[in-house]
Amino acid sequence: MAPVTLKKLVKRYGNVDVVHGIDLEVKDREFIALVGPSGCGKSTTLRMIAGLEDISDGVIEIGGKPVNDLPPRARNISMVFQSYALYPHMTVRENMGFSLKIGKVAQSEIDARVNEAAQILDLGKYMDRRPSQLSGGQRQRVAMGRAIVRQPDVFLFDEPLSNLDAKLRTQVRTEIKRLHNKVQSTMIYVTHDQVEAMTLSDRIVIMRDGYIEQVGTPDEVFKRPATRFVAGFIGSPPMNLNEASVADGKLIFEGGQSLPLPAEFRNKVAAGDKVIFGLRPDDIYPTGHGLNSGEATDVHELELPVSITEPLGNETLLFVTMAEREWVSRMLNPRAIAGGEVVKFSFDLSQAHLFSPETGKTLRS
Amino acid sequence: MKSLKLSAPTLLLLPAIIVLAAVIVLPLLFSLYSSFTPFRLTKPETIWVLIGFRNYVTALTSYEFWTAFGRTVLLLTIALNAEMMLGLGLAMLVNKATHGQRLLRTLMMFPMMFSPVLVGFQFKFLFNDNVGFINNALQSLGLATNAIPWLIDGNLALFSIIVAEIWSSTSVFAILILAGLLAMPQEPIEAARVDGCTPWQTFRFVTWPYLMPFAFIAMTIRSLDVARAYDIVKIMTDGGPAKRTELLWTLIGRTAYSDGRMGFANAMAYISILLSILFTVYFFRKLAAARQQIGAEW
Repeated sequence: MAPVTLKKLVKRYGNVDVVHGIDLEVKDREFIALVGPSGCGKSTTLRMIAGLEDISDGVIEIGGKPVNDLPPRARNISMVFQSYALYPHMTVRENMGFSLKIGKVAQSEIDARVNEAAQILDLGKYMDRRPSQLSGGQRQRVAMGRAIVRQPDVFLFDEPLSNLDAKLRTQVRTEIKRLHNKVQSTMIYVTHDQVEAMTLSDRIVIMRDGYIEQVGTPDEVFKRPATRFVAGFIGSPPMNLNEASVADGKLIFEGGQSLPLPAEFRNKVAAGDKVIFGLRPDDIYPTGHGLNSGEATDVHELELPVSITEPLGNETLLFVTMAEREWVSRMLNPRAIAGGEVVKFSFDLSQAHLFSPETGKTLRS
Repeated sequence: MKSLKLSAPTLLLLPAIIVLAAVIVLPLLFSLYSSFTPFRLTKPETIWVLIGFRNYVTALTSYEFWTAFGRTVLLLTIALNAEMMLGLGLAMLVNKATHGQRLLRTLMMFPMMFSPVLVGFQFKFLFNDNVGFINNALQSLGLATNAIPWLIDGNLALFSIIVAEIWSSTSVFAILILAGLLAMPQEPIEAARVDGCTPWQTFRFVTWPYLMPFAFIAMTIRSLDVARAYDIVKIMTDGGPAKRTELLWTLIGRTAYSDGRMGFANAMAYISILLSILFTVYFFRKLAAARQQIGAEW
């Protein structure tokens, strides 16, 4: 049980910085997800915390003590790898007990802890099998078991679900969440999948190109994205983001179409400013078919033609043309809409976001 | 007359069968037969005298045969173990190299490109007590005062042969083990480091079990090689001094062609081949077990 602190952490390969002096405080027992597109430095950061990569500059503290110069084995951490990284020549039982055996723990203690972990992960039947005799999901559970058995201060997960098929992924995801509730350790979880990050973590760290874009709870990063990148990265389908210019209490889009300037931003922008306007598909809906149709406060209605429909059963995604761009709209309790039909849409502007086109930062401040 | 009808596959295979029979099966059968006769090259008529297992009994009760046998096994044990340790070390070093790994790999294979006969001549010269490089170097460095009779002293001669053998074949181990290292997934090693292993423990419990099948493949190949060792010994000492470096195949070769006792030599050869087969079976079993252990999918 320990907090993890990163101070001005830098990773440099030759002359190229891949992590640019990031600061992060992970609280004790917190589940934190590092998320971002590939190459954003999230895995490198995790591997530096594990001690598998050298730290070029800055400090990593675990439990308040700098660990820069400690080898991985002295950091009291466990890591779950994307490719499971099980020892192929050992049985499930031996795999799980290996770190304790190396640590010269008494056999009776090893047995007790391994059996407990096996029970948590429902691995009892497979204890005498080798990894090659297990399925992907089972292997990943063994890898988690191996991590639990050590009773580490910090759990590190490096894209643990990426090698599993969609169904198993959901299942193991739930198991990881259950595991966190049970063992109450600090967990740092790297993923490129924003759904995993949202569903699992207490806080999310969104990274891009070696910088941290935003740190916040799933609710914060979804509702109040700090940058245009976060806005586009979190949420599926992604937020509609389009350029507009401010004029006379209005947002003018390309082609002349306009929306009222959302109330929240009225004194944050001036006439003539260029902005990026963002609105989630949930907040554009055929009137009467929205998430909070009844309570929406700042609704603007427009008649727009629908180009394509994607029915999903409980909802339908509509592709709408406005201001020479395609906007995605989510229709709840869907009714049949044909391509080309002109429909009255509600734009819930209380949920709108404005970002600076130069810095990409939110203008909400 | 009923014509003989052969099926198409048999007919098509017939040329190959005839050639194989002529060049392999018949000579083998003939040599096997001759091992039951007192056949001497100088007395062709002895090929027709059957003496049952007398040659085998003579071989198995002969002091000379068992000494050569024991010496071959000794050479095999020392050379193979040394080659494996050195090959492993070499492979791990080359694997660590960040620059010029391809060049190092090529250099590493150089000894394999020389004919064993040339290696024999080369080491015979190196170990020569008068003009050899090794004595010269030892004396120049002040490590020895007198010339050391490398190839003339009974014990040193076998040692010298082992050195030549190791020099020429360590790369077989190095190459195969390097192949293993290159094919090895890195994550289990990282997992071991996180799990608390020191570098030595990581090697002992994770890397080595993975490399074992590769080492056993090299062992199998090399055990057959060394068990029939002939050329290097023939050149360097010719079994001497006073038969102190006589190995199975130098003994068999001498018996067959110098003494002309072909029947007896064949009997010894068949015993030796049986032993080689036993070695192969042993290493293949080990290999299969090691492969199964790491769950190899090849």
